[in-house]
Order: sequence, then C-alpha cells, then structure tokens
Amino acid sequence: MPEPLSREAKDGIERLASFPTTRDEAWKYTRLARVAALQLSPLAHYQQPEPSECHETIDVIFEQHGWFCAAPVEGLIIESAGNLAPEDWQACTTSGHVQYLNTLAAQGGACLTIKAGYEIPKPIRIIHRVKGENFAMVLHHQINVEPHSKVQFELLYEGQGQEAYANILVDFFIAEGAHVHVDKWQNTQGTHYGFYNERIYQERHSTFCLHTLTVNTHFTRNDVEVFSQGEAAHTKLYGVFLGGENHLIDNHTFVHHMAPNGSSDENYRGVMKGKAAGVFNGKVKVYQHAQKINAFQSNRNLLLSSAASINAKPELEIYADDVKCSHGSTTGQLDALALFYLQARGISKEKATEMLVGAFCAEVVESVQSKHIQRAFAAYFTS
Amino acid sequence: MLEIKSLCASINGTEILKGLNLSIKAGEVHAIMGPNGTGKSTLASVLAGKEDYEVTSGEISFDGKNLLELSVEDRAREGVFLAFQYPVEIPGVSNVNFLKTAMNEIREHRGLPALSAKEFLTLVKEKSALVELDASLASRAVNEGFSGGEKKRNEIFQMAMLEPKLAILDETDSGLDIDALRTVAQGVNTLKTGQNATLVITHYQRLLEYIVPDFVHVLFDGRIVKTGGKELALELEDKGYDWVKA
Repeated sequence: MPEPLSREAKDGIERLASFPTTRDEAWKYTRLARVAALQLSPLAHYQQPEPSECHETIDVIFEQHGWFCAAPVEGLIIESAGNLAPEDWQACTTSGHVQYLNTLAAQGGACLTIKAGYEIPKPIRIIHRVKGENFAMVLHHQINVEPHSKVQFELLYEGQGQEAYANILVDFFIAEGAHVHVDKWQNTQGTHYGFYNERIYQERHSTFCLHTLTVNTHFTRNDVEVFSQGEAAHTKLYGVFLGGENHLIDNHTFVHHMAPNGSSDENYRGVMKGKAAGVFNGKVKVYQHAQKINAFQSNRNLLLSSAASINAKPELEIYADDVKCSHGSTTGQLDALALFYLQARGISKEKATEMLVGAFCAEVVESVQSKHIQRAFAAYFTS
Repeated sequence: MLEIKSLCASINGTEILKGLNLSIKAGEVHAIMGPNGTGKSTLASVLAGKEDYEVTSGEISFDGKNLLELSVEDRAREGVFLAFQYPVEIPGVSNVNFLKTAMNEIREHRGLPALSAKEFLTLVKEKSALVELDASLASRAVNEGFSGGEKKRNEIFQMAMLEPKLAILDETDSGLDIDALRTVAQGVNTLKTGQNATLVITHYQRLLEYIVPDFVHVLFDGRIVKTGGKELALELEDKGYDWVKA
C-alpha cells in the first residue's frame, strides 16, 4: 500500500494546481503562461556522482544524464542530496510556487559541507549544463558552512535548451564566523526558462557575498532570500543583468535583518536593449529587535532602446528605531554626450555603447572573484 | 580641404546658421570670432556631426567627400577633430583604453595595422609631454575629476595622438589660466604642418596671440559678416562687436 502523502506535499500540490498570475505581487511583471505550457521530458534521477577532474577548481557538474564530482579536499564533504536522511535536511521556510515545485519534483542535488575551521583552498564550482529540447532540471542543493570556515563558490548555469526548464534551489547555512563568497553566472542559450532560488541563513559574525551575473538569457527569475539571524552578520548582494531581444530577467531579493549590528549592501545594475524586460524587486525587512542595522540598496538601470523596459521596486519595512537604511533606484538612457564624445574620436557607435555599458557594470563586476566569470563577462562584451 | 556653402542649420526648430560660407585650405589657420549665441559652437557641432542639430540646407565637403553624409565616427576617421568646449567626463572608461580603441579604429579605417602596446605607450609618453599632461592622468577615467585646464590639455593630447587633418578648437581658451593657455597653444602650433588645418573658435583675441591665424572671420546671426587677416582680431578687441553689426 502506498504511503499517504505528507501534509507538506499535499499543501504543495494544492498550491501548484495553478501557476501564479501577474495579479500576484511577486509575479507582477513575469508571465508564466509559457512556462505552464512546456511539455517536459521525464526527469532523470541523480544518485551517485561520477568522478570529475579539474585542478584549479573543485567541480560538481550536473548534466542531462548524470552528475560528476571532483574528489573532495580536506575539510570538504560532498554527498548526494538524494541519499540524505530526512534529518540531514536543515529546516527551511518554503514559500512560493517555485520552491514548492522544487520540493515536490527535485531530482536530487549536491550536499556540501565545509567543516569547522577549514578554508577551502580552491573555488568550488557547481556547474549546471542545460542541453536539448524539453529538457528539465530540478535540483535542490544544500550547503553547510560550519563555524569559522571560509569558502568560495561559483554557480554556473550554461548550455543550450529549447523549451527547457530549470528549477534550482540552493540553501546556504552559514554558521558563526564563517565567510562565503558566491559568484553566479547565468548564460543559457535558447528558449530556456530558469528559476533560481537561493536561501541563505546567516549566523553571528558570518559574511555572505553574492554576485549574480545574468547575460542574455531568454527567461530568468532569481529569488535570493537572506535570513540574517545572528548578530553582526554582513551580507552583500550584487548583480548585473543584461537582456536583449525579447528576454525577461527578473531579480527578486529579500533580506531579513533579524538580529542587531548587521549590515546588508545591495547593488544591482540592469541594462536592457531590444524588447527585453528587466525587473528588480528588492525588499529589506528590519525586525523589531534588530537595532544598529546598516542596510543599503542601490539599483541603476539603462534602457538602450525604446521598446526595452525595466520595472524597479525597492521595499523597506523597518520595525526597529535605531537603524540606517537607504535605497535608491534610477532608470535612464545612455549618456548621449558621452556617446557623442567617443564617436567624435572615431569609435563606432556599437563599440562606444559597449564601452559605456561596460563602465556602467564595472562597479559590480570588479568585485567578482571568479576569474572564469570575469573572463566570460568580458568575452560577452568583445564578441 | 573644407568647403562650406550656404549652410543652414537649426536646433529644435530654431534656425541658428543662416547661410554660412567658409573655405579652408591645408596649411591654414582660421579663427572664427563673434559674440555669444551667434552660432560659433553650432558650427563646430555640425561639423563634428552632433545629432541634435539639423542641417536644413547647404553643403559641406571635406577633402572632396560629402561630410554631411558621414556618421560622427566616420568624420573623425576621415580626419575631423573637435576639441570640445566642455570635454565630457566618462566614469569607468580609462583614458588609455579609450584612446587605444579610438586610434585603432581610425587606423583600421585607413588600412593601417593596429598599434602594438609598446608603440602605443611610446606615443602616449611623447604626446602627453607636448601638452605637459601628467602621465598619471592617462590611466584615470576619461576626464573624471580633471581640472578645467587638465581637460583642455587632454583634448589637445588626444588631438596629438589622432593627428587629424582638420582640428576644430571650440573655445579651447575658456577656463584656462595664462600658463595653461600658452601650453595648449604651443601644443597646437607644434602639431601644425602644411597638410593639416586648424579652425579656432573663440570669443577673445587673447588665444590668437598664441595661435596666430591666417584668416579671422566674424560670425554674426548665423553668417560670416566680415573676413580679414590677424589684425581684424585686434580691431574687434578694440572696437567691440557692435562695430561689425552696424
């Protein structure tokens, strides 16, 4: 006799019965009809990884038919999420359509643990390779960063898909005094619909820095939610999103300041051309007892064509009385005088535009630690 | 080299240039003087190809080519250089990267190979010395945080690097103290050859003490109303513009 469905699963199924619509605030600018209509191939299950060889980085690679994993180094444990016992999953707040769908359908994922006090000497890359028609990838990774350890990650989303779908959920549990730097590179080709959720739980004196670089993807929705629950935890969320044609790139961030003396610093830059649409929705909530919080948020956007659009919505909710918070959002066009100046020195309009867009993004891109991603970003500009 | 015939140009529907004629030959230095709002800077912008201005009638030929049909960048590649009255600050773009890109695009247009990094740096060193531009400014962002004088020196430095056929100096003297003025003028004079020409646009006679013109034109109400030799500038200084208007 099959086991009865858990209450969580039942709840999830109910919520999934219909996709959110643009009447739902969190999906106001992002239509999901095309996603709901996708005819996806059955999902593969990712159990044990095969070995992967790379010397400069520690690679964990997810492809169409399996996954590959480098030999772990000292202080690092890599397991298959599919093999985790229920009690090995840390408790999370699941919310929203994408996360419920992930909970129900996840094919597996990687569970990485950085042991207390270790500094992992090489970056860990988690690579997701999209390939083929109707391809679907639904993964749930769990990353445990134990006290006073230090680690650098690259999350890569690459490859080509037609009418394809990805739903990747990554949970970071960052313990006391641990430092995590994540560079995320999204550059999938074709009609690929990508939904990416990161949930970050930060304990006291920990730092978390995330760069999200999204370049020319057909459909991307990023949800980054930070629970800054320990005292004096510091968070940086930086992003650059570049869209063209009829691309849609939707960035949602939500920082919960739940303890005092912490900070968050957000800086997102969007550049849209063609008929591309960009969204930035940044929410910061400072809880009642979270005094002495510094929370800064900046979002600047450039529109390179009259048919391109940006919807920006910063939101602040403050329940403490001794905090410093600010946010600003601007959307404008390329500086016509600067463009003219460059052209007047013999530089073509295309090249001049490229230089100005590059300069506009530089403030964010400069602090990306991954050389690989820096190069990939530069290559996009010179291609 | 440059032949302007009956040029009429307007901005936002207001006619600024009303039938301007001007002819410049290689090896010549021309000065255009005139009171504010008579169209001096409009002429400079139209020559460089700024889109805000609409040429309603007239012709401009440059070395036999129809200048009005060329894009802004193609005019520069053909050898037109505008030294801006207000050089634009471009944060995030380094002066060096900017100039290297410009030089190589111009060289490509002229069928020349790209400069090597070493050749380029040698040129930067040589040409920045010409206008006494602090070498450290080369690595900074274009004009960002430059003083007024540094910006103007940077314009002439770029001119020295790009070696244009026709250099248009739009109010290059504005905001310059006398020492900077001398340096800038000296730079311009050093770059002068029998093959290139200079068009100096200015309010005041002062700059013309250092860059001595072969011809002085007075621009008034969108037309050149008087042309003379360098002594015309002195006469204007003496009698003011009312004398020409009358």
